[in-house]
Amino acid sequence: MTQAPLWDIFCKVVDNHGDIGVCWRLARQLAAEQPVRVRLWVDDMQALKTLWPAAELKDRQSLAGVDVCRWRAEFDADVRVADVVIEAFACHLPPTYIKSMAIKRDQGQAPQWFNLEYLSAESWVEGYHGLFSPHPHTGLKKAFFFPGFSSKTGGLIREKDLFQARDAFLKDPATADQWLAQQGVHRQSGGLTISLFAYENPAIGSLLHAWQLGDSAINCLVPEGRILTSINAVLATQLKAGDQLQLGALRLIVLPFLHQDDYDRLLWSCDVNFVRGEDSFVRAHWAGKPMVWQIYPQEDDIHLIKLDAWLAQQAQISGPALTAAALTRAWNTHIDCAAEWQQVITDQKRWQQQSLAWTRHLNLFDDLASQLVYFGQKSL
Amino acid sequence: MKTGQELRAGHVINIDGQPWLIQKAEISRSGRNTAVVKTKLKNLLNGSLTETPYKADDKFEDISLDRKEVTYSYFADPVYVFVDTDYEQYELAADDLGDLLNYIEDGMEDVCEAVFFDGRMISITPPNTVTREIVYSEPSVRGDTSGKVMKRAKLSNGHELQVSDFVNTGDKVVIDTRTGEYKSRAKD
Repeated sequence: MTQAPLWDIFCKVVDNHGDIGVCWRLARQLAAEQPVRVRLWVDDMQALKTLWPAAELKDRQSLAGVDVCRWRAEFDADVRVADVVIEAFACHLPPTYIKSMAIKRDQGQAPQWFNLEYLSAESWVEGYHGLFSPHPHTGLKKAFFFPGFSSKTGGLIREKDLFQARDAFLKDPATADQWLAQQGVHRQSGGLTISLFAYENPAIGSLLHAWQLGDSAINCLVPEGRILTSINAVLATQLKAGDQLQLGALRLIVLPFLHQDDYDRLLWSCDVNFVRGEDSFVRAHWAGKPMVWQIYPQEDDIHLIKLDAWLAQQAQISGPALTAAALTRAWNTHIDCAAEWQQVITDQKRWQQQSLAWTRHLNLFDDLASQLVYFGQKSL
Repeated sequence: MKTGQELRAGHVINIDGQPWLIQKAEISRSGRNTAVVKTKLKNLLNGSLTETPYKADDKFEDISLDRKEVTYSYFADPVYVFVDTDYEQYELAADDLGDLLNYIEDGMEDVCEAVFFDGRMISITPPNTVTREIVYSEPSVRGDTSGKVMKRAKLSNGHELQVSDFVNTGDKVVIDTRTGEYKSRAKD
């Protein structure tokens, strides 16, 4: 009996949890939905454990159907080369592994090699997506694969049963209430529930102030992370996971770092989601709720171009006067956000409609894992 | 060694043992302060063209090619033979001559620049201008002397080009080999 093809995903954790977050989701989805075997190489097992507590700090383990291996600096030259190889987010494969890939190619079994790039809404991405790049030293062909928001890109990670799970969770409000209660959160009638996952941002002071003085009650749920540093600096507190703080109309609730499935539940449960980077950003799209994105900051403010590209794509679908555009720009340029917040919250219904329209539009495209598989089949 | 972000048009890099001329290199900024480079490449051995992306930190062995001055000697079907100043002979097939083929004729004395990879001549570039005799041109009909009215003319090797209306059969003309266009009537 023929064995299912083996896929290797290589992930180096640079900072935060974006790289491993995306790679782990992709690995799990491929293992669950495609007739393939998946091996994930990660250099920082602790980062994986943060996202997936069942992970252990050992060199090799089977998790959620994925063979998870520690990627050591001294890579074992005897590791069997996979049929499909994904190098994620600008990491470089071990030279010994590339050498083995070349040997396999010379034996007539060239592995398929993907360079999985960062997500961007910029138009140049479409011109790169799917192009092959011969490796300078071996000639092995590597396909550049770009996630994105259009049919000319590799799409976004989206599990087949994601919407079913989301809708089942939201069908009975009691389910969300119960889940929130487990996190120590009790929603108030007429109030807003906001999740806040972000990098450090001095603009948080203006938002906390606006929420504190607002007319309606706000529960702000903050999973442990970098924004907590800014909050503690602004409020002169030392809040940590499990702490709660009432400030006028605002109740701040600090949650522990949530594992991926629980983070989805958090996004589904909230009325507005502040997200960052790539992984939480993509998940917020599928929640279909209003969101404010804090993009990963880059040199020369390149990230602001990327931010505007995303806002522009969304505006094409949701309407030119995108409700959250001003707030999103203010949040990413670290300026006072109070006025922009008032604007979006008075237009909350429209914001919700625009978010749903954008989610429905993105759902028209095949998900990233399926596109990787199709691309591989097509190019064989 | 060059990195992807250092690639520029005109560089020649080694990809899997073959020399590739970079015709265009565009950098796009990706995530987390990384970048990708889209290149247009020409294989200097077989002339094939490709559009290829690289990461900004991919590493390439750059190639400095040997260059020599050569002149055309003779045609030995199917190759054209050139000689250098030491009378060493080098052959090149018609497909590898590029636009020079338009100006090849017996007895030509133009000094061309030949490019060598691994001891083998891989391309040849004519001087920026060459002078050739018109062996046939349609007669001038308007008596135009401004040079703005053009007509078709033929060189001794059969190559056709547009020349000024006042150019006659038997005249010599200066041709810009970079554009392939007639430049002027040659002065005797």
